[in-house]
Amino acid sequence: MADLKDLFTAVVEMQEDTAMELTNKYLDEGVPALDIFNCYQEALEEIGKRFEKQLYFIPELIMSGEMMKAASEILKPHLSEETSASGGQKKLGKVLMATVQGDIHDIGKNIASMMLDLNGLEVKDIGVDVPAETIIAEAQAFGADVIGLSGLLTLAFDPMKAVVDKLEEQGLRDKIKVLIGGGQMDEQVCNYVGADAYVTDAVVGVNYIKGWLS
Amino acid sequence: MIIIGEKINGTRKKVSAAIRERDAQFIKDLAQSQVEAGSNYLDVNAGTSPEREPEDMAWLVNTIQEATEAPLCLDSANPAALKAGLELVNKTPIINSVSGEKPRIENVLPLALEHKTGLILLALDDQVGIADTAAERMEIVHRLVGLAKDGGLAEEQLFVDPLVTAISTGTDNALVTYDSIAQTRAAYPKAHITCGLSNISFGMPLRSLINQTFMAMCIQVGLDSAIIDPNDRNLMSVLLASEMLMGKDKYCQNFSRAYRSGRIGPKND
Repeated sequence: MADLKDLFTAVVEMQEDTAMELTNKYLDEGVPALDIFNCYQEALEEIGKRFEKQLYFIPELIMSGEMMKAASEILKPHLSEETSASGGQKKLGKVLMATVQGDIHDIGKNIASMMLDLNGLEVKDIGVDVPAETIIAEAQAFGADVIGLSGLLTLAFDPMKAVVDKLEEQGLRDKIKVLIGGGQMDEQVCNYVGADAYVTDAVVGVNYIKGWLS
Repeated sequence: MIIIGEKINGTRKKVSAAIRERDAQFIKDLAQSQVEAGSNYLDVNAGTSPEREPEDMAWLVNTIQEATEAPLCLDSANPAALKAGLELVNKTPIINSVSGEKPRIENVLPLALEHKTGLILLALDDQVGIADTAAERMEIVHRLVGLAKDGGLAEEQLFVDPLVTAISTGTDNALVTYDSIAQTRAAYPKAHITCGLSNISFGMPLRSLINQTFMAMCIQVGLDSAIIDPNDRNLMSVLLASEMLMGKDKYCQNFSRAYRSGRIGPKND
Protein backbone atom coordinates (compact mmCIF):
# COMPACT_ATOMS: atom_id res chain seq x y z
CA MET A 1 0.00 0.00 0.00
CA ALA A 2 3.01 2.27 -0.53
CA ASP A 3 1.15 4.07 -3.28
CA LEU A 4 -1.42 5.50 -0.92
CA LYS A 5 1.06 8.08 0.36
CA ASP A 6 -0.80 10.92 -1.32
CA LEU A 7 -4.02 9.86 0.39
CA PHE A 8 -2.23 9.73 3.74
CA THR A 9 -0.87 13.22 3.17
CA ALA A 10 -4.26 14.58 2.07
CA VAL A 11 -5.94 13.30 5.25
CA VAL A 12 -3.16 14.45 7.54
CA GLU A 13 -3.08 17.89 5.93
CA MET A 14 -6.88 18.26 6.22
CA GLN A 15 -7.46 18.36 2.46
CA GLU A 16 -10.97 16.99 2.57
CA ASP A 17 -11.82 17.18 -1.13
CA THR A 18 -8.53 15.67 -2.27
CA ALA A 19 -8.87 12.86 0.24
CA MET A 20 -12.35 11.99 -1.07
CA GLU A 21 -11.21 12.11 -4.70
CA LEU A 22 -8.25 9.85 -3.97
CA THR A 23 -10.41 7.44 -1.98
CA ASN A 24 -12.76 7.04 -4.93
CA LYS A 25 -9.91 6.88 -7.43
CA TYR A 26 -8.12 4.07 -5.57
CA LEU A 27 -11.33 2.11 -5.18
CA ASP A 28 -11.96 2.41 -8.93
CA GLU A 29 -8.42 1.23 -9.62
CA GLY A 30 -9.07 -1.89 -7.58
CA VAL A 31 -7.05 -1.13 -4.46
CA PRO A 32 -8.50 -3.23 -1.61
CA ALA A 33 -10.86 -1.19 0.58
CA LEU A 34 -9.12 -2.51 3.67
CA ASP A 35 -5.81 -0.98 2.52
CA ILE A 36 -7.51 2.36 2.03
CA PHE A 37 -9.17 2.08 5.42
CA ASN A 38 -5.84 1.26 7.07
CA CYS A 39 -4.32 4.28 5.39
CA TYR A 40 -6.97 6.47 7.05
CA GLN A 41 -6.21 4.89 10.41
CA GLU A 42 -2.51 5.59 10.02
CA ALA A 43 -3.31 9.17 9.05
CA LEU A 44 -5.46 9.48 12.15
CA GLU A 45 -2.62 8.25 14.30
CA GLU A 46 -0.38 10.93 12.83
CA ILE A 47 -3.08 13.54 13.48
CA GLY A 48 -3.24 12.34 17.09
CA LYS A 49 0.52 12.80 17.40
CA ARG A 50 0.28 16.33 16.04
CA PHE A 51 -2.51 17.02 18.53
CA GLU A 52 -0.25 15.90 21.37
CA LYS A 53 2.49 18.20 20.09
CA GLN A 54 -0.04 21.07 20.00
CA LEU A 55 0.35 21.55 16.27
CA TYR A 56 -3.24 20.47 15.82
CA PHE A 57 -6.23 21.25 18.04
CA ILE A 58 -9.77 20.05 18.57
CA PRO A 59 -11.08 21.29 15.19
CA GLU A 60 -8.56 19.03 13.40
CA LEU A 61 -9.64 16.05 15.51
CA ILE A 62 -13.27 16.70 14.63
CA MET A 63 -12.56 17.34 10.96
CA SER A 64 -10.49 14.16 10.64
CA GLY A 65 -13.37 12.31 12.29
CA GLU A 66 -15.73 13.67 9.64
CA MET A 67 -13.36 12.64 6.85
CA MET A 68 -13.06 9.17 8.33
CA LYS A 69 -16.83 8.88 8.60
CA ALA A 70 -17.34 9.97 4.99
CA ALA A 71 -14.67 7.53 3.80
CA SER A 72 -16.17 4.69 5.85
CA GLU A 73 -19.51 5.23 4.10
CA ILE A 74 -17.83 4.79 0.74
CA LEU A 75 -15.68 1.87 1.86
CA LYS A 76 -18.23 -0.03 3.95
CA PRO A 77 -19.92 -2.06 1.17
CA HIS A 78 -16.50 -3.09 -0.18
CA LEU A 79 -15.08 -3.76 3.27
CA SER A 80 -17.82 -6.16 4.27
CA GLU A 81 -17.26 -8.18 1.06
CA GLU A 82 -13.54 -8.38 1.67
CA THR A 83 -13.68 -9.11 5.38
CA SER A 84 -16.39 -11.77 5.11
CA ALA A 85 -14.03 -13.48 2.66
CA SER A 86 -11.00 -13.10 4.91
CA GLY A 87 -12.68 -13.93 8.22
CA GLY A 88 -13.77 -10.50 9.34
CA GLN A 89 -11.97 -7.64 10.97
CA LYS A 90 -12.19 -7.87 14.74
CA LYS A 91 -12.72 -4.84 16.92
CA LEU A 92 -10.07 -4.33 19.60
CA GLY A 93 -12.58 -4.29 22.45
CA LYS A 94 -15.68 -2.65 23.85
CA VAL A 95 -15.88 0.68 25.63
CA LEU A 96 -18.97 2.04 27.34
CA MET A 97 -18.96 5.84 27.59
CA ALA A 98 -21.08 8.06 29.84
CA THR A 99 -21.11 11.43 31.56
CA VAL A 100 -21.89 10.69 35.21
CA GLN A 101 -24.97 11.69 37.15
CA GLY A 102 -25.20 15.37 38.02
CA ASP A 103 -23.18 16.54 35.02
CA ILE A 104 -24.48 17.27 31.55
CA HIS A 105 -21.26 18.28 29.77
CA ASP A 106 -20.81 16.21 26.66
CA ILE A 107 -18.19 17.83 24.41
CA GLY A 108 -15.24 15.93 25.89
CA LYS A 109 -17.13 12.65 26.01
CA ASN A 110 -18.29 13.00 22.40
CA ILE A 111 -14.80 13.70 21.13
CA ALA A 112 -13.40 10.78 23.13
CA SER A 113 -16.14 8.44 21.83
CA MET A 114 -15.43 9.48 18.27
CA MET A 115 -11.68 9.00 18.66
CA LEU A 116 -12.14 5.55 20.21
CA ASP A 117 -14.49 4.51 17.42
CA LEU A 118 -12.04 5.68 14.78
CA ASN A 119 -9.27 3.75 16.47
CA GLY A 120 -11.00 0.44 16.04
CA LEU A 121 -12.86 0.12 19.34
CA GLU A 122 -16.53 -0.72 19.63
CA VAL A 123 -18.06 2.20 21.49
CA LYS A 124 -21.43 2.57 23.13
CA ASP A 125 -22.20 6.10 24.30
CA ILE A 126 -25.13 6.23 26.73
CA GLY A 127 -25.26 10.00 27.11
CA VAL A 128 -25.08 12.45 30.00
CA ASP A 129 -26.31 12.58 33.60
CA VAL A 130 -26.39 8.77 33.82
CA PRO A 131 -26.85 7.14 37.27
CA ALA A 132 -24.24 4.57 38.41
CA GLU A 133 -26.75 1.69 38.33
CA THR A 134 -27.60 2.39 34.70
CA ILE A 135 -23.94 2.65 33.72
CA ILE A 136 -23.17 -0.75 35.24
CA ALA A 137 -26.27 -2.44 33.84
CA GLU A 138 -25.49 -1.08 30.37
CA ALA A 139 -21.84 -2.09 30.66
CA GLN A 140 -22.82 -5.65 31.52
CA ALA A 141 -25.41 -5.90 28.76
CA PHE A 142 -22.88 -4.53 26.27
CA GLY A 143 -20.04 -6.71 27.53
CA ALA A 144 -17.78 -3.71 28.06
CA ASP A 145 -14.05 -4.16 28.64
CA VAL A 146 -13.67 -0.56 29.70
CA ILE A 147 -16.00 2.04 31.18
CA GLY A 148 -15.11 5.61 30.27
CA LEU A 149 -16.59 8.13 32.71
CA SER A 150 -16.70 11.78 31.81
CA GLY A 151 -17.36 14.77 34.04
CA LEU A 152 -16.34 18.40 33.91
CA LEU A 153 -17.44 19.49 37.36
CA THR A 154 -15.94 18.63 40.73
CA LEU A 155 -19.45 17.42 41.56
CA ALA A 156 -18.70 14.51 39.23
CA PHE A 157 -16.11 12.98 41.60
CA ASP A 158 -18.59 11.29 43.92
CA PRO A 159 -20.80 9.84 41.16
CA MET A 160 -17.62 8.47 39.54
CA LYS A 161 -16.60 6.89 42.82
CA ALA A 162 -20.10 5.40 43.11
CA VAL A 163 -19.61 3.57 39.81
CA VAL A 164 -16.31 2.05 40.95
CA ASP A 165 -17.73 1.13 44.39
CA LYS A 166 -20.73 -0.58 42.82
CA LEU A 167 -18.49 -2.49 40.42
CA GLU A 168 -16.58 -3.76 43.47
CA GLU A 169 -19.77 -4.72 45.31
CA GLN A 170 -20.98 -6.68 42.34
CA GLY A 171 -17.63 -8.43 41.92
CA LEU A 172 -17.08 -6.89 38.46
CA ARG A 173 -14.17 -4.63 39.22
CA ASP A 174 -11.41 -6.95 37.96
CA LYS A 175 -13.29 -7.60 34.71
CA ILE A 176 -13.84 -3.98 33.72
CA LYS A 177 -11.26 -1.19 33.58
CA VAL A 178 -12.40 2.31 34.52
CA LEU A 179 -11.00 5.43 32.87
CA ILE A 180 -12.09 8.87 34.07
CA GLY A 181 -11.79 11.95 31.90
CA GLY A 182 -12.37 15.68 32.23
CA GLY A 183 -10.65 18.99 32.79
CA GLN A 184 -10.60 18.61 36.59
CA MET A 185 -9.11 15.13 36.70
CA ASP A 186 -5.76 14.50 38.36
CA GLU A 187 -3.86 11.83 40.29
CA GLN A 188 -5.60 12.70 43.55
CA VAL A 189 -9.08 12.45 42.03
CA CYS A 190 -8.13 9.20 40.33
CA ASN A 191 -7.11 7.69 43.69
CA TYR A 192 -10.24 8.99 45.39
CA VAL A 193 -12.49 7.56 42.69
CA GLY A 194 -10.53 4.30 42.49
CA ALA A 195 -10.25 4.46 38.70
CA ASP A 196 -7.50 2.71 36.74
CA ALA A 197 -6.38 5.94 35.10
CA TYR A 198 -7.37 9.54 34.51
CA VAL A 199 -7.02 11.64 31.38
CA THR A 200 -7.59 15.24 30.43
CA ASP A 201 -7.57 14.75 26.69
CA ALA A 202 -9.06 12.26 24.26
CA VAL A 203 -5.90 11.16 22.50
CA VAL A 204 -4.21 10.09 25.73
CA GLY A 205 -7.38 8.19 26.64
CA VAL A 206 -7.29 6.25 23.38
CA ASN A 207 -3.66 5.31 24.07
CA TYR A 208 -4.49 4.03 27.56
CA ILE A 209 -7.38 1.90 26.36
CA LYS A 210 -5.46 0.47 23.42
CA GLY A 211 -2.66 -0.40 25.83
CA TRP A 212 -5.02 -2.23 28.18
CA LEU A 213 -6.65 -4.25 25.44
CA SER A 214 -3.63 -5.20 23.36
CA MET B 1 -20.54 46.74 32.42
CA ILE B 2 -21.04 44.59 35.50
CA ILE B 3 -17.87 42.63 36.08
CA ILE B 4 -18.06 39.48 38.17
CA GLY B 5 -14.55 38.49 39.27
CA GLU B 6 -14.16 34.75 38.71
CA LYS B 7 -11.02 33.86 40.61
CA ILE B 8 -12.32 32.65 43.98
CA ASN B 9 -13.24 29.27 42.61
CA GLY B 10 -12.38 26.01 44.36
CA THR B 11 -11.99 24.18 41.06
CA ARG B 12 -8.72 26.12 40.68
CA LYS B 13 -5.89 24.24 42.39
CA LYS B 14 -4.42 27.08 44.46
CA VAL B 15 -7.83 28.21 45.67
CA SER B 16 -8.80 24.68 46.57
CA ALA B 17 -5.64 24.35 48.67
CA ALA B 18 -6.30 27.70 50.37
CA ILE B 19 -9.82 26.57 51.27
CA ARG B 20 -8.57 23.25 52.64
CA GLU B 21 -5.83 24.87 54.70
CA ARG B 22 -7.99 27.86 55.73
CA ASP B 23 -5.41 30.25 54.27
CA ALA B 24 -7.43 33.44 54.85
CA GLN B 25 -4.72 35.77 53.60
CA PHE B 26 -4.63 34.10 50.19
CA ILE B 27 -8.39 34.51 49.78
CA LYS B 28 -8.34 38.11 51.03
CA ASP B 29 -5.58 39.05 48.57
CA LEU B 30 -7.52 37.44 45.76
CA ALA B 31 -10.63 39.40 46.76
CA GLN B 32 -8.84 42.72 47.10
CA SER B 33 -6.89 42.50 43.87
CA GLN B 34 -10.04 41.67 41.92
CA VAL B 35 -11.92 44.63 43.41
CA GLU B 36 -9.04 46.99 42.71
CA ALA B 37 -9.02 45.80 39.11
CA GLY B 38 -12.66 46.80 38.70
CA SER B 39 -14.88 43.89 39.82
CA ASN B 40 -18.42 44.86 40.76
CA TYR B 41 -19.14 41.45 42.26
CA LEU B 42 -16.91 38.61 43.41
CA ASP B 43 -17.89 35.09 42.45
CA VAL B 44 -17.56 32.62 45.35
CA ASN B 45 -17.38 28.94 44.46
CA ALA B 46 -16.11 26.54 47.14
CA GLY B 47 -16.04 23.63 44.67
CA THR B 48 -15.83 21.09 47.48
CA SER B 49 -17.85 17.95 48.20
CA PRO B 50 -21.51 18.44 49.19
CA GLU B 51 -20.92 17.64 52.88
CA ARG B 52 -18.11 20.17 53.24
CA GLU B 53 -19.45 22.85 50.96
CA PRO B 54 -21.76 24.78 53.38
CA GLU B 55 -18.96 25.16 55.90
CA ASP B 56 -16.43 26.14 53.23
CA MET B 57 -18.87 28.62 51.68
CA ALA B 58 -19.47 30.26 55.07
CA TRP B 59 -15.74 30.55 55.71
CA LEU B 60 -15.16 32.06 52.25
CA VAL B 61 -17.96 34.61 52.63
CA ASN B 62 -16.70 35.74 56.04
CA THR B 63 -13.10 35.88 54.90
CA ILE B 64 -13.88 37.88 51.75
CA GLN B 65 -16.08 40.33 53.63
CA GLU B 66 -13.27 41.03 56.07
CA ALA B 67 -11.18 42.20 53.13
CA THR B 68 -13.63 44.05 50.89
CA GLU B 69 -17.11 45.54 50.73
CA ALA B 70 -17.88 44.24 47.26
CA PRO B 71 -21.11 42.26 46.96
CA LEU B 72 -20.81 38.56 46.24
CA CYS B 73 -22.03 36.15 43.61
CA LEU B 74 -22.74 32.89 45.45
CA ASP B 75 -21.86 30.15 43.00
CA SER B 76 -23.19 26.70 43.87
CA ALA B 77 -25.80 24.15 42.90
CA ASN B 78 -26.02 23.03 46.52
CA PRO B 79 -28.94 24.67 48.40
CA ALA B 80 -27.30 24.06 51.79
CA ALA B 81 -24.15 25.89 50.69
CA LEU B 82 -26.19 28.76 49.24
CA LYS B 83 -28.17 29.05 52.50
CA ALA B 84 -24.95 29.16 54.50
CA GLY B 85 -23.71 32.01 52.30
CA LEU B 86 -27.02 33.88 52.28
CA GLU B 87 -27.09 34.01 56.08
CA LEU B 88 -23.76 35.81 56.20
CA VAL B 89 -23.74 38.28 53.31
CA ASN B 90 -23.62 42.00 54.14
CA LYS B 91 -24.94 43.09 50.77
CA THR B 92 -27.55 41.69 48.43
CA PRO B 93 -25.73 39.00 46.44
CA ILE B 94 -26.31 37.36 43.08
CA ILE B 95 -27.07 33.65 43.09
CA ASN B 96 -25.23 31.66 40.41
CA SER B 97 -27.38 29.97 39.12
CA VAL B 98 -30.78 28.63 38.15
CA SER B 99 -31.22 26.68 34.92
CA GLY B 100 -34.20 24.82 33.53
CA GLU B 101 -33.05 21.69 35.40
CA LYS B 102 -35.60 20.46 37.90
CA PRO B 103 -33.40 20.41 41.05
CA ARG B 104 -32.31 24.00 40.43
CA ILE B 105 -35.85 25.24 39.92
CA GLU B 106 -37.14 23.38 42.95
CA ASN B 107 -34.27 24.04 45.37
CA VAL B 108 -32.29 27.08 44.24
CA LEU B 109 -34.94 29.38 42.74
CA PRO B 110 -36.94 29.61 46.02
CA LEU B 111 -33.82 30.85 47.84
CA ALA B 112 -33.38 33.67 45.33
CA LEU B 113 -37.06 34.60 45.61
CA GLU B 114 -37.06 34.49 49.41
CA HIS B 115 -33.92 36.62 49.77
CA LYS B 116 -34.71 38.85 46.77
CA THR B 117 -31.22 38.36 45.38
CA GLY B 118 -29.86 38.92 41.93
CA LEU B 119 -30.08 35.73 39.90
CA ILE B 120 -28.15 34.24 36.99
CA LEU B 121 -30.40 32.28 34.62
CA LEU B 122 -28.69 29.66 32.47
CA ALA B 123 -30.26 28.83 29.12
CA LEU B 124 -30.09 25.04 29.52
CA ASP B 125 -32.36 22.35 30.92
CA ASP B 126 -32.47 18.64 31.62
CA GLN B 127 -34.41 17.88 28.43
CA VAL B 128 -32.09 19.24 25.76
CA GLY B 129 -28.95 20.13 27.76
CA ILE B 130 -27.32 23.02 25.92
CA ALA B 131 -29.47 23.66 22.87
CA ASP B 132 -27.86 24.07 19.47
CA THR B 133 -30.09 26.92 18.32
CA ALA B 134 -30.85 30.38 19.67
CA ALA B 135 -34.59 29.67 19.33
CA GLU B 136 -34.39 26.68 21.67
CA ARG B 137 -32.23 28.58 24.16
CA MET B 138 -34.73 31.45 24.11
CA GLU B 139 -37.57 29.10 25.00
CA ILE B 140 -35.71 28.23 28.20
CA VAL B 141 -34.84 31.88 28.86
CA HIS B 142 -38.50 32.91 28.52
CA ARG B 143 -39.57 30.17 30.89
CA LEU B 144 -36.95 31.07 33.52
CA VAL B 145 -37.48 34.83 33.32
CA GLY B 146 -41.22 34.16 33.70
CA LEU B 147 -40.68 32.06 36.82
CA ALA B 148 -38.35 34.64 38.39
CA LYS B 149 -40.68 37.56 37.65
CA ASP B 150 -43.74 35.68 38.87
CA GLY B 151 -41.83 35.01 42.07
CA GLY B 152 -41.30 38.71 42.64
CA LEU B 153 -37.86 39.49 41.19
CA ALA B 154 -37.51 42.63 39.08
CA GLU B 155 -36.16 42.33 35.54
CA GLU B 156 -33.04 44.30 36.49
CA GLN B 157 -32.15 41.69 39.11
CA LEU B 158 -31.85 39.03 36.44
CA PHE B 159 -28.64 38.06 34.66
CA VAL B 160 -29.41 35.93 31.64
CA ASP B 161 -26.55 33.65 30.57
CA PRO B 162 -27.25 32.54 26.99
CA LEU B 163 -24.31 30.10 27.20
CA VAL B 164 -21.13 29.79 25.22
CA THR B 165 -19.92 26.57 23.62
CA ALA B 166 -16.48 25.98 22.18
CA ILE B 167 -15.83 27.31 18.67
CA SER B 168 -13.48 24.35 18.19
CA THR B 169 -16.44 21.98 18.20
CA GLY B 170 -18.78 23.91 15.93
CA THR B 171 -18.17 26.57 13.31
CA ASP B 172 -21.39 28.44 14.15
CA ASN B 173 -21.17 28.20 17.93
CA ALA B 174 -20.34 31.87 18.49
CA LEU B 175 -23.18 32.92 16.19
CA VAL B 176 -25.69 31.06 18.36
CA THR B 177 -24.50 33.07 21.36
CA TYR B 178 -24.75 36.41 19.49
CA ASP B 179 -28.27 35.55 18.36
CA SER B 180 -29.31 34.57 21.87
CA ILE B 181 -27.84 37.76 23.35
CA ALA B 182 -29.58 39.95 20.78
CA GLN B 183 -32.92 38.23 21.28
CA THR B 184 -32.66 38.43 25.07
CA ARG B 185 -31.79 42.12 24.86
CA ALA B 186 -34.83 42.77 22.65
CA ALA B 187 -37.21 40.78 24.86
CA TYR B 188 -35.96 42.02 28.25
CA PRO B 189 -34.42 45.49 27.88
CA LYS B 190 -33.80 45.90 31.62
CA ALA B 191 -32.31 42.48 32.32
CA HIS B 192 -28.56 42.01 32.41
CA ILE B 193 -26.86 39.58 30.09
CA THR B 194 -23.75 37.81 31.28
CA CYS B 195 -21.65 34.85 30.27
CA GLY B 196 -18.57 32.78 30.93
CA LEU B 197 -16.72 33.96 27.84
CA SER B 198 -13.67 31.74 28.00
CA ASN B 199 -15.58 28.58 27.02
CA ILE B 200 -15.43 29.90 23.47
CA SER B 201 -11.72 29.19 23.09
CA PHE B 202 -11.62 25.69 24.63
CA GLY B 203 -9.45 23.39 22.54
CA MET B 204 -7.76 26.21 20.61
CA PRO B 205 -4.36 27.91 20.72
CA LEU B 206 -4.11 31.65 21.52
CA ARG B 207 -7.08 31.46 23.83
CA SER B 208 -6.82 34.97 25.22
CA LEU B 209 -6.89 36.51 21.75
CA ILE B 210 -10.04 34.57 20.94
CA ASN B 211 -11.65 35.50 24.27
CA GLN B 212 -10.96 39.20 23.79
CA THR B 213 -12.30 39.31 20.25
CA PHE B 214 -15.37 37.31 21.20
CA MET B 215 -16.12 39.56 24.16
CA ALA B 216 -16.02 42.66 21.95
CA MET B 217 -18.47 41.04 19.54
CA CYS B 218 -20.80 40.02 22.38
CA ILE B 219 -20.74 43.54 23.82
CA GLN B 220 -21.78 44.85 20.44
CA VAL B 221 -24.96 42.74 20.45
CA GLY B 222 -25.92 43.50 24.05
CA LEU B 223 -23.73 41.78 26.62
CA ASP B 224 -23.52 44.05 29.69
CA SER B 225 -21.91 41.78 32.27
CA ALA B 226 -19.20 39.16 32.25
CA ILE B 227 -17.72 36.58 34.58
CA ILE B 228 -14.01 37.13 33.96
CA ASP B 229 -10.57 37.51 35.45
CA PRO B 230 -10.46 41.28 36.07
CA ASN B 231 -6.69 41.13 36.54
CA ASP B 232 -6.34 40.16 32.89
CA ARG B 233 -5.14 43.53 31.68
CA ASN B 234 -5.62 42.86 27.99
CA LEU B 235 -9.14 41.58 28.46
CA MET B 236 -10.07 44.63 30.55
CA SER B 237 -8.61 46.91 27.86
CA VAL B 238 -10.80 45.33 25.21
CA LEU B 239 -13.80 45.50 27.54
CA LEU B 240 -13.40 49.23 28.18
CA ALA B 241 -12.69 50.00 24.52
CA SER B 242 -15.74 48.01 23.39
CA GLU B 243 -18.08 49.76 25.82
CA MET B 244 -16.72 53.10 24.72
CA LEU B 245 -17.19 52.25 21.06
CA MET B 246 -20.78 51.19 21.75
CA GLY B 247 -21.61 54.65 23.07
CA LYS B 248 -21.75 53.60 26.70
CA ASP B 249 -18.85 55.69 28.00
CA LYS B 250 -19.66 59.39 28.25
CA TYR B 251 -16.76 61.55 27.08
CA CYS B 252 -14.74 58.33 27.12
CA GLN B 253 -14.13 58.86 30.82
CA ASN B 254 -14.09 55.23 31.98
CA PHE B 255 -11.55 54.43 29.33
CA SER B 256 -9.42 57.53 29.98
CA ARG B 257 -9.52 57.10 33.73
CA ALA B 258 -8.42 53.50 33.47
CA TYR B 259 -5.60 54.62 31.20
CA ARG B 260 -4.48 57.43 33.50
CA SER B 261 -4.50 55.18 36.54
CA GLY B 262 -2.44 52.60 34.66
CA ARG B 263 -5.08 49.85 34.72
CA ILE B 264 -4.89 49.53 30.93
CA GLY B 265 -2.24 50.30 28.36
CA PRO B 266 1.50 49.67 28.55
CA LYS B 267 2.68 48.80 32.01
CA ASN B 268 5.21 51.14 33.65
CA ASP B 269 6.91 49.38 36.51
